[in-house]
Amino acid sequence: MTAGAPALDVDGLSASYGHLRALFDVSFSVDPGAAVALVGANGAGKSTVARVVTGLVPAGAGRVRIGGTDVTGRHAWEIARRGVTHVTEGRSVFSSLTVEENLVLTFRATLGRAGVGAALERSFAAFPRLGERRGQSAGTLSGGEQRMLALARALGSPPKLLVVDELSFGLAPVVVEQVYAALDRVRDEGCALLLVEQHVDRALRLADRVVVLRKGRVVADGPPAELAPKLDELVLGPGPG
Amino acid sequence: MTELLGYAIPGIPFGCVFALMAIGLVLTYTTSGVFNLAFGAQAFVSGLAFVSLISDGWPRWAAALLAIVVLGPAVGLALDRLLFRRVRTASPIVKLVPSLGLLIALPQLALIIAGSVPTIAPPALFLDAQRVYAHVLGVPVSGLELSIMVATAAVVALLLVLARATPLGLQMRAVVESPRLVELSGINAGRVGATAWVISSCFAGLAGVLLAPLYSQIDPQNYTVLLVWGIAAAVIARFESIPLALGGGLALGIGQQVLAGYLPPGVIASGLRPSLPFIVLLVFLPFGRRNRIEDPLAGCDPPPSTMVEDARRYRPASALAVGADVGTRAVGLWHRALGAGPSESLAARAVRRPTTVVAWTLAALAVLSALTWVPADWLLTMTQGLAFGTVFVSLTLLTGMSGQISLCQASFAGLGGFVAGQLATQMGWPVLVAGVAGGALAALLGVIVALPTLRLAGLPLALATLAFALLADNVLFPVSWLGDGASGVRLPRPSIGPVRFAAARPFFILALVLLVVSAGVVKRIGDGTTGRYLFAMRGSETAASSVGIDVRKLRIGVFAISAGIAGVGGALYGSLQGSLVPEDFNYEISLVLLVVAAIVGLGSIGGAVVAGLVYTTLQRAVATLPTRYAGLVAVLFGLATLSYTRHPEGIVDFLAGRFSELWARLLGALRTPGYGRDAPAPEPEAEPAHGVARP
Repeated sequence: MTAGAPALDVDGLSASYGHLRALFDVSFSVDPGAAVALVGANGAGKSTVARVVTGLVPAGAGRVRIGGTDVTGRHAWEIARRGVTHVTEGRSVFSSLTVEENLVLTFRATLGRAGVGAALERSFAAFPRLGERRGQSAGTLSGGEQRMLALARALGSPPKLLVVDELSFGLAPVVVEQVYAALDRVRDEGCALLLVEQHVDRALRLADRVVVLRKGRVVADGPPAELAPKLDELVLGPGPG
Repeated sequence: MTELLGYAIPGIPFGCVFALMAIGLVLTYTTSGVFNLAFGAQAFVSGLAFVSLISDGWPRWAAALLAIVVLGPAVGLALDRLLFRRVRTASPIVKLVPSLGLLIALPQLALIIAGSVPTIAPPALFLDAQRVYAHVLGVPVSGLELSIMVATAAVVALLLVLARATPLGLQMRAVVESPRLVELSGINAGRVGATAWVISSCFAGLAGVLLAPLYSQIDPQNYTVLLVWGIAAAVIARFESIPLALGGGLALGIGQQVLAGYLPPGVIASGLRPSLPFIVLLVFLPFGRRNRIEDPLAGCDPPPSTMVEDARRYRPASALAVGADVGTRAVGLWHRALGAGPSESLAARAVRRPTTVVAWTLAALAVLSALTWVPADWLLTMTQGLAFGTVFVSLTLLTGMSGQISLCQASFAGLGGFVAGQLATQMGWPVLVAGVAGGALAALLGVIVALPTLRLAGLPLALATLAFALLADNVLFPVSWLGDGASGVRLPRPSIGPVRFAAARPFFILALVLLVVSAGVVKRIGDGTTGRYLFAMRGSETAASSVGIDVRKLRIGVFAISAGIAGVGGALYGSLQGSLVPEDFNYEISLVLLVVAAIVGLGSIGGAVVAGLVYTTLQRAVATLPTRYAGLVAVLFGLATLSYTRHPEGIVDFLAGRFSELWARLLGALRTPGYGRDAPAPEPEAEPAHGVARP
């Protein structure tokens, strides 16, 4: 960990699924404690960036650095242990395990046996609803509660970087506000955020910076206020007229 | 009551061993997605090691420790590293073939290493096997039975405690759901999977050691039977529940003994007991995996090969495409002669498609040699190769093109052969007509297999067809009016009017004609609209039916045609040999056929022809070695699965592709399709592109 280094630095990244190339020379960085929103149309490569950063998909070329340390080619579990939490698109909890088991699984691996109790307490303090359901299997939770459980992993032991993929997808507006409130709290703990979101307006309110992807390439990178007016064109590309 | 118990209690030890097997299968299947049929072989290896060590004078505890706790996991871990880790996210057939290959190869390898089967009666794990230690309601319980029950109860209890009350158990339960989510929690899912693999290999080893004393001598055959019962119990457990696997195993073990006790002796009764797994499979398979939770991160894998790639693969290597080419070429030349514009010259075309030219040159040379100078014994081997080539062509249609995994292709071939034999010798039918009738009845059998399995695909279909093959072996083939048990059926060589095919070379021509006709049928199906339907069905049955393809009709049809072709191949082989016995086409042959077909190339008709020749030539070559090495063919096939996991397209298509590539480079005209042009060329030796499979 180098002092002053960005929490996440993505440099010249490319990635493919089989013969299908998804990313072309993607570069951007997230400063410690900052929030970056990654926006783009369907299939622009947003989730792929998130997956390469956390080691789920191997990088074809380029570098990924977490807090100054090169983690390119590392296993997902090694990257997770370096303080990166990834809340994946869709279901991101173990349905067959209980709420408590879901959290214990993560905390034991990242904090060791001694840290589990305190981390559990912090998580349940942040989300009392989860505390009430600690013995219930996670599959029986509502969609919003499952997202909270996934975020609770980050609240129990604040990571250096939290990668969140489509947090609001499929949630009722009220619930979207609740999970975003949780996100604010994670950020207050000093954690950097990489936000993948189709719900652009909501993401822009939280983010300090926006990175726009189109067809696997970065087409814009700047503060939300600057990019917001021309965002539609950036996301969708120049129109026919 | 005492009578019932008298049958039931001897069933418990069998039930325990079945249950151990089933638990091992379920444990690896849920944690790695691989249904490891090689467990049967691993059990045999441990059982053989246990008995061999004891016959060498080792103390029982040391032999057991080495066989179960050292050898079992060592073999399992090696297989995981070398083979199964590569195929975890692959298609069902790519997952299945390595385990089938090992199921065939490992026991033979172990026997070659051991040199001979120990002749001592296998002892119990502990206690005195013959001594009666207790009576339950008047039924004596021997040390053998007691030792098996105690050992099983102990390890199952240990496993349940491990799963429910330890961090490792928690991690294992999480890996079952999604290895990638586990990795994101900071846990090395590969290591958790490997641990599960080691534990289940211990179960296989223990099952192998416990099974040994239930028979008077150690025999690989018993272990395959054990595996099939274990599979049935795993199916009862829906491939996921360990307690249900235990219960299912016990129920089957007790059930088969009680059934044997009460049923009157006779062919049907003695056949019914071994076919119990088939019935269980058919009843329980449609209920399997309904509640299975899908991995939410499955999208991280590279996509499976597309229909376009499949369709492309079938073209270049299928040697018979040349027939069509000749026509178009002739038209092209004619056009050019008329000055109707530029057309590719014959030479230019030959340069562009070198594999076709090479394939046909080789084929022509082989046929010429066979008809002129090849000595009689090798001619026989080649003709056998053509007969098996016909059977392999039927697999190309059913498994290669349509994606239906069949582990009963030898049963179809056998039925065709037996029916032809019976019709020819008992009813006096002309042999060729009898052969066609045999094929027709085999086709009918194909429909009978297709109907109850319509809702099954992938692994469940493979298991159901395997169970069917066992049913055929035990019930169908032993009856006197069909396979007639050990005595077998005679089938003379045919004649058409004055033309007799009794001599070797005329028969070779007949076999060649039949192979070309079958290949032509399959080729036509593949190239036509039905072929597109089959590719669609292979990709996704749901998607295929959603665009209006009648998948049920298609499946029944393709099973019928494939079984019919296999039946004709079986009759051809029988006629060549002069007689057939059920062992010629038992379930093991079915397994070998699929493995060989997959290794050599399920993707093309040329692959099927080569598979037939390779299959018989290798067997003949090994037959010249001392008897100790009789199993070498099986070992070779098992080792070949190592290459298969790297090149699932099969050796023939792989070599054809390589050759074309080199040729193109030689011409300095390497042109690749434009789509995805800027994608990095995938490295051939690259690890699968996902987080879990890396070591």
